[in-house]
Amino acid sequence: MKSVRIWFKKDGATRYISHLDLNRVMTRALQHSRLPIWHTEGFNPHPFLTFALPLSLGFRGVRECMDIKLTEDNICEKEIIDKLNASLPVGIRIFKVTDPIMKAGKITYAKFHMKMTCDTITLEELFFLFRNLFARETIEIEKKNKKGVVKTLDLKPDIGEYTLEKTNNDVTLEIILSAGSVQNVNPTLLIAILEKENNIEINYDITRMDLYNEEMKAFV
Amino acid sequence: MINKEVEKLLLKVQKPGRYVGGEMNSIVKDKNKVNLRFAFCFPDTYEVGMSHLGMKILYSLFNSFEDIWCERVFAPWVDMEALMRQNHIPLFALESGDPISEFDFIGFTLQYELSFTNILNMLQLGNIPVKSKDRTELKNIVCAGGPCACNPEPIADFIDLFFIGEGEEVDLEVMDLYRQCKKNNETKQEFLIKASQIKGVYVPSLYEVTYNEDYTIKAITPLHNAPPKVEKRLMTNMDKSYYPENFVVPMIEIVHDRAMEEIFRGCIRGCRFCQAGFLYRPVREKSVEVINEQCHTLCNNTGYDEVSLSSLSSSDYTQIGGLLTQLNEWAKEEQVSISLPSLRVDGFDDEIISKIKTVRKSGLTFAPEAGTQRMRDVINKNVREDELMQTCSKAFNNGWTKVKLYFMIGLPTETDEDVQGIAELGQKVINTFYSCENRPKGKAVSVTLSTSSFVPKPFTPFQWEPQDSEESLKAKQKLIKESIHSRKITYNYHDSSTSFLEAVFARGDRRLCKVMELALEKGFHFDGWGECFSLEKWLKLFKECGIDPHFYANRKRSFDEVLAWEHLDYGVSKEFLIKECKKAYASQTTENCRQKCSNCGANKWKVGVCFEKRKNMV
Repeated sequence: MKSVRIWFKKDGATRYISHLDLNRVMTRALQHSRLPIWHTEGFNPHPFLTFALPLSLGFRGVRECMDIKLTEDNICEKEIIDKLNASLPVGIRIFKVTDPIMKAGKITYAKFHMKMTCDTITLEELFFLFRNLFARETIEIEKKNKKGVVKTLDLKPDIGEYTLEKTNNDVTLEIILSAGSVQNVNPTLLIAILEKENNIEINYDITRMDLYNEEMKAFV
Repeated sequence: MINKEVEKLLLKVQKPGRYVGGEMNSIVKDKNKVNLRFAFCFPDTYEVGMSHLGMKILYSLFNSFEDIWCERVFAPWVDMEALMRQNHIPLFALESGDPISEFDFIGFTLQYELSFTNILNMLQLGNIPVKSKDRTELKNIVCAGGPCACNPEPIADFIDLFFIGEGEEVDLEVMDLYRQCKKNNETKQEFLIKASQIKGVYVPSLYEVTYNEDYTIKAITPLHNAPPKVEKRLMTNMDKSYYPENFVVPMIEIVHDRAMEEIFRGCIRGCRFCQAGFLYRPVREKSVEVINEQCHTLCNNTGYDEVSLSSLSSSDYTQIGGLLTQLNEWAKEEQVSISLPSLRVDGFDDEIISKIKTVRKSGLTFAPEAGTQRMRDVINKNVREDELMQTCSKAFNNGWTKVKLYFMIGLPTETDEDVQGIAELGQKVINTFYSCENRPKGKAVSVTLSTSSFVPKPFTPFQWEPQDSEESLKAKQKLIKESIHSRKITYNYHDSSTSFLEAVFARGDRRLCKVMELALEKGFHFDGWGECFSLEKWLKLFKECGIDPHFYANRKRSFDEVLAWEHLDYGVSKEFLIKECKKAYASQTTENCRQKCSNCGANKWKVGVCFEKRKNMV
C-alpha cells in the first residue's frame, strides 16, 4: 500500500461545482480509471480520498491536491496522470503525482489572486476602496456562529503580504490569508465588507495560487 | 462553453453547476462542420432532466451522426431566470453556450402535464415567438415527443410538430426531410405538410377542430392530406435498437445518478389506471446477452458503480434470474451494484433479493395502489393481500423494518370501505411484522402509507371517467387519517390541487391554448414545484378566459364522445378500452399478456409478447 498526493488544477466549468461535488467527481474518476485504488473497508466500500483543503465554489485552483492510496507500489506517475485525466471532466487536469510530504493539518496560509470589477463605480474608486480597507487598524466583520450568535471578528491579523494594483481591466489583488483547519479566512469576506459598506456589487474572479505551512514554505 | 455574460451571474445563483456544461462525455462539435443543430430541451431543472433516460438515448443517437449536433437545454431555476431576464440573456444550450434561436430544431420532451408552462416560458426566454403561426421561416422548428404527446392539444398552438410513439427512427426521418426542404428552399408550411406524411408525425396545424354547443368536440378534420389517424411509431427489435454506450456524467448531484439500462419496453399487466401500460404496448424485451453487454460497457465508460435495470415492471422480465446471475459475474468483481427500481409485490423473491441492492436495508417500497381486493380488481392491479403479507414477511425476516406502500384515492367506484381499507392494510403489515420469527429484534417497525389522487388519463380504460372532486378527495384523506390507530404508521398524501390541474391538461383540448398563453404572460412556471404552484392563481386564469376547468377534469364522458385525442392512434383499440372499462365496473380482472391475449390491438405490429410462446400453449 502506498499513499500518493495527486496535484491538479480546477478551472472552467468545474469552477462551479462545490467541494462535495468535487468529491463525487473524483470518486467516480478513480472508479473509472481502473487504477488499483485502495477502497475503504466499511459497510459501504468506496475509494479512499482526502483533500488538503476545500476550495470554495467559484474559485479557480492551480495547485490543488488530494491524497489516495494505491494497493500496488510499482505504478508510474505518467500512468496515473493519463488514466485519471481520461476519466475527468476537462476542467480538472492532473499534472503531478508525488509522495505526500507535509500533513494537510500543517497548512496555515493560502495565496489568492483576485480580479475585481464593479458595474457602478470606476476601477479607480474600487482601487481606493480596497486601499483604504487595508489601511484600517482593524478590519471588522460580523459573523454568526452555529448558535446564531453574532460575533465581531477582526480580519487584520489574518492578512499577510499583499499587492494591490489597478490594471486596464480590473483591480488586481494578490493576497496571503490564514488558511487551514485552525483559522481560515475566505477572501470573499473582504469583498463583502466593501459591498455592504458602499452598497455596491463587486464582480470577482478568484484563483487560489498556493498553500503554505507556518513557515511560509509551499505545501508539498 | 460558458458565455461571458452568463459567467457574471453564476456566483449569484444557487447551484451554478446547473448552467455550465463541461461534464465528462458531453459532446462538443464544431458548429461550422455540422449541418443540423438540435436543441434537446427538458422543461424542468438540470437535476430532473439529467435523470431522464429518453434524453440520454436520443442525445447519443443524434450525436452519433457526424453532421448533427444535439445539445442539452434545461429550464433555469427561478433565481437564474430572473437574472437572465434582468440582463437580457437568452436561454442557451449547455454544450456551446449558444442561444436556442440558433438551432434548427428546438425539441421538448413531454413527461408531465405540469411542465407545459415551462415549455412556453423556455421559448420566450429564448426569444422564440411562442405561437407556431408566428414562426414563419424554415428554422427553429419547435417539436415535442414523450408520453404527454398522446394528448398534446393544450399546447397545439405552440408546437410545430409532435412525435407520436418512440422517437429513435421518426426524429431522424424528420431531420432528413428538413435538410432536403432547406436545400430546395421550401417554406416551413411545405415542410410541415410533407412531414405529416411521415408515420408517427402529428402536425397540429393541419387539423381543424370544431366544437358542439356544449363545448364537446364535433369533429377533427385533417387538412392538406394529413392522415385522419396518426399512428404511433415503435421500435420492433429492442436488441438492434440504438442504445448509448456512454452517458454524460453530471458533476453536481442529480435525482438518479447512476447508469441505467432499459431491459424492455411496455408492460404485460394492463393496470387500468396506468397510461404507460397502454401507450407502450406491446412488451418487447432485450435479450440477456445484449443487456449484459450494454450494462458492462456503460459502467466502464462512465465510472458509475451502480446500474439500474429500468422498465415499467422489472420483475416481469422473463429471464430476470438468469440476467442477474450473468450481471453479477463481473459486477461483484468491479464493485458495481445492480438495482431494480420497479419491483412488484409479487416479484420480490429470495433469488432476486440476494442479487440486487434493494436500496440498502433502509426501506422497501411497494405499490398495492388500493386498499381492498374489490378495488384492486377494479383497477386490474392483480395483487392479492396474502401476496403482500408474504412479501412483507420475507422482507422482515431478512432484516427490513421499514415498508412504504403507495396507494391512489379517488378511483372509479371507490367507497369509504375501500378508503378505510388502506389504513387497515397498513395495520395488517404491522401485525405481520410481529408474527415474523426472524424479525430484527429490538427494532420498531414503521409503515408509511402514501396516497396520491387518481388522474384519469387518455388511452386508458378510465379515459372517460370523471376525476373525484377536491372536497371528496380531502374527505378521503381525512378518513384515512382517522382510521389509523397505530403510531407505527405514518400517512403522507400528495396535494390534490396539483392532481386537479394535471387532470385538466391531461384530457384538455385546444381551447386551453389561450389559458396557456395567458399563463405565460403572467409568468407561470415550474407548476410541478410546490414553491411555484398556486391553484388559486390558475382558477383565476381559467375564469378570465371563460373556461371551466371542471369540464375537463370532473366530467364523465360518454363512450361515443369525440375525444380530444381521437385522431392519435397508439395501437390499442377503443373497443378494447371500452370493454376494459365495463369489466372494471363489474370488478372483473383481465389476465396479463403472458397468461392470455386480450386482443387489445397491439398485435398488429407482429412483435414482442404478442408472439411469445405462452407456457400454457405448449
